[in-house]
This record gives sequence, structure tokens and C-alpha cells, in this order.
Amino acid sequence: MSFLISSKKNSILLKELVKTDFKLRYQGSVLGYLWAVIKPLLMFAILYVVFAKVLRFGDDIPHYPVYLLTGTVLWNFFTECTQQGIHSIEQRGDLIRKISFPKYIVVVSATSTAVINVLINLFVVIIFTLINGVAPSFSWLMVIPLLLELYIFALGISLLLSSINVKYRDVGNIWDVLMQAMFYAVPIIYPLSMVMSTSVVAAKIIMINPVAQIIQDIRENLITNVTTTTWELSGVAWGLVSVGIVLLVFIIAVLFFKKRSKYFAEEI
Amino acid sequence: MSWAEKYLGKVRKEVEKRNEDSKIAVSVQGVYKSFRLPTEKSWGLKQAIFSRLKGIKGYRKQEVLKDISFEVKKGEFLGIVGRNGSGKSTLLKILSEIYLPDKGTVSVNGTLVPFIELGVGFNPELTGRENVYLNGALLGFSNKEMDAMYDEIVKFAELDQFMDQKLKNYSSGMQVRLAFSIAIRARGDILVLDEVLAVGDAAFQEKCNDYFKSLHGNQTVILVTHSMENVEKFCDRAILIENGKIACDGKPSKVTKEYLKLWS
Repeated sequence: MSFLISSKKNSILLKELVKTDFKLRYQGSVLGYLWAVIKPLLMFAILYVVFAKVLRFGDDIPHYPVYLLTGTVLWNFFTECTQQGIHSIEQRGDLIRKISFPKYIVVVSATSTAVINVLINLFVVIIFTLINGVAPSFSWLMVIPLLLELYIFALGISLLLSSINVKYRDVGNIWDVLMQAMFYAVPIIYPLSMVMSTSVVAAKIIMINPVAQIIQDIRENLITNVTTTTWELSGVAWGLVSVGIVLLVFIIAVLFFKKRSKYFAEEI
Repeated sequence: MSWAEKYLGKVRKEVEKRNEDSKIAVSVQGVYKSFRLPTEKSWGLKQAIFSRLKGIKGYRKQEVLKDISFEVKKGEFLGIVGRNGSGKSTLLKILSEIYLPDKGTVSVNGTLVPFIELGVGFNPELTGRENVYLNGALLGFSNKEMDAMYDEIVKFAELDQFMDQKLKNYSSGMQVRLAFSIAIRARGDILVLDEVLAVGDAAFQEKCNDYFKSLHGNQTVILVTHSMENVEKFCDRAILIENGKIACDGKPSKVTKEYLKLWS
């Protein structure tokens, strides 16, 4: 019973924090919430000009523009989620030092703006996909569990690193650099076939990364079969390894966070 | 005495004890708390690795609370006094479940609403109204509960016309008045206040004084303060904390005398 009451209280607090975050994010800008859509589209425009038009990547992939857009939208979601999440505990130190509440709420609320953004963006992606001449299909439904997998991975990383970041502020910086590196280690702007033509092993290693696995899976289900997923490239076993990494990171993160969060108020 | 009588006696004692317990709002038993204070200036990964390699602990233990035990009855107005750094705020944070005690237990009978600081989570970019609801959610109140309290809070703060203004447009006095009104209008069984009495102008202070006097016997309050005047005016009982121990526990007049002796 007391658990029910407290979980109700927690959901109220979560709702209130999410509302505040979202309200404040675009405060004082003329276009307001529209920026949630405009920013990824502009990012996409830059990548499209550089990689599709100038460098002529992806000539062999049908619907390459939406293929590229999907990749950047998902990647932006992952970076936004983790970067907001990792710094969340340290940024909300004022609350944690003065009020007692479950600390995971801070991390979840920090990632929630990214969740709202990615949902808006995916809506834009789907419109572009239709305009681009892709016929809607039932395989589109697969996007839902895949997106959930990506969120669980991002949340796991956020929980784990945010609790380390309380004591060692280096973690946030290390992660920022790591994300820069990972951007090129995931086939977002280049097609995986480019790597495969040089080294199949390298392609296989790239595709064990859950982020790569998820992005390729969503692209295949949403846009085109003419792409390579982890499951096709390395077999079901390696696909399961990728999903397993997500679950393992999440479980470790939850346990670690639960243990450390009792001391956040003193350490922050 | 037959076994039945013995049993009845046992039950009666149990019931009496339970009745006694239900009159207790907060019970603190043998609480210890220490902090690890870093001895090195710089924090971070580099320092941690160096310290580990050199075999330096990198921190020293500071005992803040040593074996604190006391009880607060329902409806009691308890004052906690002591010098700066004596452990008062740490004790309040343990009562509010912000810190975990190293040893000992704290049991709270009812809902405890802590105000370690006024206006926690207040955001200058939000309106007065939004801030009230956000603050309420942080204290564990639902929107429905806040709806019920909202009018009273605004009325007490005397800010009716300003509630849809952003907080950054408030004067600092107005901000504090709003925060303070949330604190005293929040409907919890136990109110925990840290050094928050002196806010607003003379008229507002007068109003707060009247309000605190009206609470007498109806509301459990735990108040940390440096003002002996307030202790004598509001409190039924006071506790003096010195070096992390309870140095004196009893009538406000006795405790304030002991407090003043610390400097003589």
C-alpha cells in the first residue's frame, strides 16, 4: 500500500519535472517548440549535402535521404539522452541536498525531453518516408520495440555514469569525447557496405554495438531491405549479444545506482 | 495468577504501549553520523588514482552526530539549538531522510514535510503558480492536494495579483514570502523548519508570529534556530546540541540558559 502511494507520488513529481524541463527548454526563443523539429532537419541538410551530394555516399541505397535522416534522428536521440542523463544528478544537486525523493526520477526526467523530441522527429521521418515513396507496412511496428531498446540502453548508461559523475566529474567529459568517436564508429553517415568492402570483420565488430544494431534494424524495417543488419551479417547469436549488452548494462546500472543513490546528498 | 490472567495482563501492556507509541510523532534512537571529508584539494579521477597508488585514503572521518536519542510527541513544538557546526542541520537532514544515519534508527509516525531551505526547486523562469505546484510535487503533494492548499498559500503570501508573473520579476522579499507560505501552509503531520523564521517585512513577521502561536498543540513542529527569543516564544521543549551530542533537553527557559552559557 505504501509502495502504491509512493509510486503515485513519484509519478506526480516526474510529471511535474518533465513539464518544467520541456517548458524551460525553448523559453525565450521565437520559434519555441518548433526547434525540436528544425534542429535535426538542419543537421540532416548539412550531412545530406556533404555526404550524399559531395562525397556521393549511399548511391547504392534506395531512399538514401530518409535513410540518412533516420540515422541522424536516432543518433541525436541517443546523444541527447545520455548527455542530459549523465549530468542530471550533478545539475539537480540543489534538490538532492535538500529534499528526499527517489533519485532515479531526476535521471528519467532529464532524458524525457529527448524522448519527446525523438517522437516528434520520428513523426517527421515517417512523413518524409511516405513522400519519398516508401509504402507503409506492418514491419513499421518493429520500430516501437527497437526504440524502446535504444532508450533502455541510453537510460542504463545515464544511470550508471550519472552516479559515477557525482564523485568523478571527469566522466561527463570522457563521455562527450567518446560520443564524438562513436559517431564515426556507427554507420550513420556512411553505408555499412563501404566497410564491408574493405573488411567484413571490421563491419561485424561495428555491428555488435547496440546503437549500430538498433539503427540498422530500424532502417531495414522502416525504409529498405537493401541494408545490412547485425542479424544478417553475423547471425542471430551476435544479434542476441548486442541485445544482451543492452540488458546487462541496464541491470548493472540499476543495481549500482540503487546502491550509490543513498549517498548522493552527501557526496554531491 | 492463572495463565489467562497473565495473558490478559500482557495484552493490556501491549495495548498501553501501542497507545503510548501513537502519541509519539518522531522517535530518534542512537543515531550516529560521520562524513568523509576529502583531505586533498582537487577532486576527480586523477586524484583518486594517485591516492590509491600512494596508499593514501584521501579523506578523514568527521563525526558529526554521536549517539543522539530523543522523541517528539504529537502536537509538540520542539526547538533545536546549538552553535554553528554542532550538527543541527545534519540531524534535520537525517530526520528528513536526506542522509542515512551510520547507526541508529529514526521512525516517523505520519507524514513529515521538510524545509531545510525555503523554495527548493524554485525556478525564476516559471510563474509563481507553476513554482508553487512544482515545489509541492517535490514535497510529495499531489496536484489535488495542492489545489486544496493553493488559495491559502497565495492569501497568506499576499501575492494574489502576482501569481501569473514569472518569479524573476518578483522582489526578493516576495519570493521569500511565497516560499515561506508554502512551508507553513503545507499540510503534513510533522513540519521541519531550518532557520526560516525571519522573512518579510515587519507586518509579515507579525503575521507569522501569530500563526506560529496559533499552531500550539495542533501541529508537530521541529524548528532549528539561533534565536533564543523564538525558542522561548514558540517552543514547548528544546534540545541543545553541542559537539554532536545532546547537551541539554528540557524546558525552553532551561535550554536557552545553557545555550548562552556556551559563550561565557
